[in-house]
Amino acid sequence: MFGLIEPFTDVNHSFFGMLNQGPLTLTIFLHTVIILPMFWIYFSEKKRLNK
Amino acid sequence: MANKNVSVWTSIPFWRRSAAWVTGFATILLIWLTFDTLGQISMGTDADLKNGVTKRVPGPTVINYKIGYEMSAKRGHEVPTIGEKQPFFGKEWSEQEAADLLHLGKLTSQAKNCMDCHTLLGNGAYYAPDLTKAWIDPAWQKGGPMQGMTGKNTVEEAMAEFLQHPSQYPTHARMMPNLGITAKEAKGLVAFLKHMSSIDTNGFPRNFSKTVDQFKTGGTNAH
Repeated sequence: MFGLIEPFTDVNHSFFGMLNQGPLTLTIFLHTVIILPMFWIYFSEKKRLNK
Repeated sequence: MANKNVSVWTSIPFWRRSAAWVTGFATILLIWLTFDTLGQISMGTDADLKNGVTKRVPGPTVINYKIGYEMSAKRGHEVPTIGEKQPFFGKEWSEQEAADLLHLGKLTSQAKNCMDCHTLLGNGAYYAPDLTKAWIDPAWQKGGPMQGMTGKNTVEEAMAEFLQHPSQYPTHARMMPNLGITAKEAKGLVAFLKHMSSIDTNGFPRNFSKTVDQFKTGGTNAH
């Protein structure tokens, strides 16, 4: 998919090594997993405040 | 029904939950990364070397083998290779002897503060040459200027000789001072350097010369 996930080449296999192959960097991954749940926190708080 | 006067941004529980999420996630991630790193940097054993198990950091007995540095098309950079047996200071070192020698070398490198001028595995200064791959530096191989200057026939003897009397050998403008390194400490340091060159550093440092020929034709090296 757009060359986002590339074959693993590092000497030791690791999850974080996998994330650092090609354009899918650790930074993009961390922003995804940290920022996306914050949208959910935002909307659930909004819903709670509206009640 | 949406209340127009409600602002999530001024809500304390929103910031509390956000902070808890970010802090909690970061904590778990750091603990995970710590164990992930520990697994990668733990030293291999003598058995790993004998069975051809590839470890990022090989065991101390790697000093008994020939270390190469070859381009890996798959990984896109040079990778250290562990070749056939090669005597180190004219003998084969047992597991215990090799570990002791490497330990002495590490302590000496700390006591003499090599990192004050040199870089080791990315740590240290850039005043003097990077020592990460010093063992496979073409300058120290047969036909290389450093080995030739010391008048020795092996890389280890040439390095040990240089380390004991660095101020006798003119290298470049920034000459290494005499640090009072003893013959035994020099052996340890050379073992330390040989072991370090066998560590898979994902191609660091870049632009390191591969062969004596390339060095002679003016190819870049780690200096």
